[in-house]
Amino acid sequence: MNMEQPDMSQIASTAELRPVPPARVSDEPSSEHPVVFEVRDLDVFYGDFQAVRGIDLDIRQHEITALIGPSGCGKSTVIRCLNRMNDLIETARVEGTVTYHGVDLYGPDVDPVEVRRRIGMVFQKPNPFPKSIFENVAFGPRIAGLTADLDDIVEESLRRAALWDEVKDKLDEPALALSGGQQQRLCIARAIATSPDVVLMDEPASALDPIATLRIEELMIELKEDYTIIVVTHNMQQAARVSDRTAFFSVEVGEGGRRTGRLVEFDLTERIFTSPSEKETEDYITGRFG
Amino acid sequence: MNDRRTHFHRELAALEADLVGVAGRAEGMIAEAIRAVVEDAPDVADAVIASDAEIDRIYLDIHDRWLELMARQQPMGSDLRLMSAILVLNATLERMGDQCVNISKMAKVVHGLPRSEQILEELQEMADLVRPMVRRSVAAFIRRDVAAALTLPEMDEPVDRLNRQMYQRVVACGPRKEQLEWATRMMMVARALERIGDQAVDVAEQVVFLATGEFREFGDTAGSGDRT
Repeated sequence: MNMEQPDMSQIASTAELRPVPPARVSDEPSSEHPVVFEVRDLDVFYGDFQAVRGIDLDIRQHEITALIGPSGCGKSTVIRCLNRMNDLIETARVEGTVTYHGVDLYGPDVDPVEVRRRIGMVFQKPNPFPKSIFENVAFGPRIAGLTADLDDIVEESLRRAALWDEVKDKLDEPALALSGGQQQRLCIARAIATSPDVVLMDEPASALDPIATLRIEELMIELKEDYTIIVVTHNMQQAARVSDRTAFFSVEVGEGGRRTGRLVEFDLTERIFTSPSEKETEDYITGRFG
Repeated sequence: MNDRRTHFHRELAALEADLVGVAGRAEGMIAEAIRAVVEDAPDVADAVIASDAEIDRIYLDIHDRWLELMARQQPMGSDLRLMSAILVLNATLERMGDQCVNISKMAKVVHGLPRSEQILEELQEMADLVRPMVRRSVAAFIRRDVAAALTLPEMDEPVDRLNRQMYQRVVACGPRKEQLEWATRMMMVARALERIGDQAVDVAEQVVFLATGEFREFGDTAGSGDRT
C-alpha cells in the first residue's frame, strides 16, 4: 500500500491555499519524514467559549505523535480538527490554518467525507456496529464502492490490526461478543479498511486492561510503518512508550475562570521525558503539576 | 506465552548485545596493553590508547539509549533488574578500558629503561589471570549463570596475591635507580590489573543480582577481604 504521495485531487479539486504564517522556530534536528499536517495559529471555539488558542504543530509521516496534558487542555479538540470532526458540532468554529499534504483542510472545495476516509479515527470506547465482525470491517469499503475484493480487504485489515488469527473462524459472529481489547482492534481494522493515510486515536486504550493496552500499543508501533498516527492519551507513560514526538498541552485560566488549552512544548518524545525545555512540562511529567 | 512488549524487549536485547561487545573489546585491550609493557612497544601502547575512544563512544551511546528506555518503557521485575545491571556493567567495562589506557601510558613512560624479567613474568601472569575473569563474568551475565559468577572471587585471589607481592619485587630493585623507576611504574601496572580483576568480580555480582534480586558484595561473603 503506497501512502507516500496521496492523490489530493479527490479531496479538493481546486483547493485554495490560504497563506501560512511562519513556522515556529525549533532547535530540534530536521526529520527525514515529510510533514503531513501543518497546524498554524489554530484557535477553536465552542460558541463563545475558546477551547484552544494559538496552536502550532507539525505532524510527520510514519511517526506516532502523542498529545498529552491534563483534562480540559484541548488535546481532543485539536485531534478532532485534523479530520474535521468538529464540523459535526454545530457551535464549533475553527480559525487558523490546518494543511494536509499542503492542502488547506478547511478550504471551500474540500469534501469532509473524503477527509474522514483518508484520516480515520479510533475512539476511546470501542464502538463496533451491532453487526458481524465481517460487516464491521466491510462497512467503510462498501460505502466507498469497493465491493469486488471485499473478502481480501477484510482479511488484510484484520491481519494488520493483529486480530485475524483470533476471529478468522467466526467472521459471521456478532462483533459485540468480542472482548473489549478485541473490539478496539476491530475498530482499528475498520478504520484502516478504507486505506486511510492517517489514523487518529483518541484515548484508544483507556477503557482496556493493561494486557489489552500493551497489544494496542504494539499494534500502533507496527501500524506506523504504513500510516501516520496521532494519539491523544491521558496516560503519559503510554505516550512515552509508543510515540516518536510528544506535544504537551496545558490549560490557561483567564478572566472569569475561563479555561483555554494551549500547546506548551512539542519535541521528540525522548527529550520531553528526559529533559524537557519548559518548566511546566517538567512539573507535569514529574507529578508536580498544579 | 506471547511477548506483549516485543519492541521494548528487542531494544533491551540490543543494548545487552552492545554491552557484551564492549566486554570483548575490553578483554582485547588488556592483552594489548600488557603486550605494550612486556615487549616495551610504545606503538602498541598508542594503539590501545586510541582504541579506548571507541569504548568511550559506545559507553556514551549505551548510556543515552539506557536513559531513553528507562524514561519511555518503565521496566519492571526482571527487566528492571537487567536495566540496573546494564548501567553498572556499562560503567564497569568503560573503566576497564581506562585501566588499559593507564597501563599503556606506563608502558610509554618507561620506554627504554632497564627491566626486571621476574616482574614482567608476574605482570603477564596477572594479565593471563584477569582476562579469563572478564570472559567468565560476562559469559555468566549472558547466560544468567549464578554458579559461574560465584567462582569469580576464587579466580581473583591469585591476582590479589601477585599484586601484594609486587611491592617486594619493586623494593628489591632499590639499588639500581633506573630500574627502580621502571619498577615503581610497574607497581601501578599491577595495581591496574588488580583493579580489572575486581571489576570482573563486580560484573559477577550483578549476575547474582539479576538472577535473585539481591545484591551482595562477594568480597564480604567469600572471605577474601581484599577488594582494594
